[in-house]
Amino acid sequence: MKKFKVIIVDDERSAREEIRRALLPYPDYEVIGEARNADEAEALIHAHRPDLLFLDIRMPERSGFDLLAALPDVPEVIFTTAFDQYAVQAFDNNALDYLMKPIRVERFAQAMEKHGKKMQENNTTGKQLFIKDGEQCYFIKLKDIYLVESADNYARLHFNDKKALIRASLHQLEEKLDPDIFFRINRTQLINTQYITHIQPTTGGRFTIHLYNMTLEISSRQSVKFRQWNKP
Amino acid sequence: MGKRTSLTLYWKCQLIGWTIAAFYWEVDAFIRSAHFNFTFAVINFIADIIVNIIITHLYHTYALRKGWHQLSLQALLWRLIPAVVILSVVFTATVMLRFYLFNHYILHSFSGSFPAYVVNAGWVSFIAGIRIMFIWVLAWHMYHYAQREIKAARENAQLQLIAREAQLNNLSAQLNPHFFFNSLNNIKALVIENPDLARRAIDLLSDLLRTSLLHKQGQLIPLRDELGLVKDYLELEQLRFEERLTISLLADEKLMNISVPPLCLQTLVENAIKHGISKKKEGGLITINISEEDNLLKMTVQNPGNLNNIQTSPGLGIRNLKERLQLQFRGSASFHIIQHDGIVLSTLLIPGV
Repeated sequence: MKKFKVIIVDDERSAREEIRRALLPYPDYEVIGEARNADEAEALIHAHRPDLLFLDIRMPERSGFDLLAALPDVPEVIFTTAFDQYAVQAFDNNALDYLMKPIRVERFAQAMEKHGKKMQENNTTGKQLFIKDGEQCYFIKLKDIYLVESADNYARLHFNDKKALIRASLHQLEEKLDPDIFFRINRTQLINTQYITHIQPTTGGRFTIHLYNMTLEISSRQSVKFRQWNKP
Repeated sequence: MGKRTSLTLYWKCQLIGWTIAAFYWEVDAFIRSAHFNFTFAVINFIADIIVNIIITHLYHTYALRKGWHQLSLQALLWRLIPAVVILSVVFTATVMLRFYLFNHYILHSFSGSFPAYVVNAGWVSFIAGIRIMFIWVLAWHMYHYAQREIKAARENAQLQLIAREAQLNNLSAQLNPHFFFNSLNNIKALVIENPDLARRAIDLLSDLLRTSLLHKQGQLIPLRDELGLVKDYLELEQLRFEERLTISLLADEKLMNISVPPLCLQTLVENAIKHGISKKKEGGLITINISEEDNLLKMTVQNPGNLNNIQTSPGLGIRNLKERLQLQFRGSASFHIIQHDGIVLSTLLIPGV
């Protein structure tokens, strides 16, 4: 059987050692790497695409949150923290779990059980992003995002009836998002084409589209591209 | 703000007080004097107000500049007596001059020379001057004394409040929850890896916990005790950070009995770890120096790091330390923090050597 790949991220050696020890009774999990900071972790994640990340929040230079926000595809995460539970509790329930150090055996078992379940049901869900908007953090599945709007130096993500503002240009996000699904309809809007309910041609060869109970205009330049894009 | 309101109060008292006094003198003159002159009464009334405000205001300015309002009673007394005499002499001179000129040149009721008039009537005027100036100076100093007492009472209340706050912060600052739980997690790992070290760590953590639970507010402790606490703390942090934390400690043994506010050095060292070592991937060196400089106890803590993010809003620990120093030593202790080439240096100067 294929084992789940685990990466442990913590700046204290003894803390990483503790997680390793806690994982001993779980033969389906294999620790493929340890990182002492966000930079090391980022390289490891790119190289190994882990199934589970144990992540400390307070680390030198870049925090655990900073690390996640930089990843184009975020693995399942169990946060480990000494006292930042408030920061983690602010998450919507998309976060897998958080553990308080020192970690109790039964609490660790609960988190592992959650991960096991998620792995079973989640075989086809695809990539997810991590977004920190002020105090609020979100794990967002790419498929749940239906619209991205630019607002000065920020981008507003619309997903599951929620909105989040992140510091990124539309262009940067366009590169992170799957070009087969996401389409730039004009200078300020990027849409998930899977949410289109109706396409309506208007004057000058342009289109109006209905998307998730909104009506949006495609610019004339992008309408040309949209026609080509829509054909095959 | 406070200065502005007291100034208006001062001018209000000056105007109202001298108006009442001048009015009283004219009424008194009207009742007693057989040949009361209305024109002269009006001139006298206005002149009394203006002249007296000017001379007392000169005293006010002079006394404030010389800091007489902050003197103790004894130091004040031997300055007050000549001051009142001088004020009275000026008062008498202006009154006499006015009376003589008016009576001599306008009413032609005085025929003698001015010195003769002074010798004749000066004494009465001088006694009146002494009386009124004494009352004025007394009132002025009583007002400032009251202000000083109120301020002292307020400061005392504040000191108590801060001491109580410090005691609370103490628990959460010294037993910084991050430090506490990370240490426990560290000990948990040590139990397997190195049981002897684990036992040592439990002893250290127990002592730190006990100190913060038993710590009495507002008291000074010997530097020896403070340094002991810092050493325990650093030993524990070294177990956590391992090769990322190096410590250099240089302390002059003969300074160890000096009394210092509890947690003064600990606050600096903790900041050095929190904002310095733990923010650096490779960690670094913390240098602690305890020496004597210009009869002051000088404690410095050096760590790698950047000030930018801390200085804009100094942490609770530093703010608290500054307040305690100010109230405890009234400006004779000082704390400052600078940054140069990626090194942060905090310096604490405390009297008592």
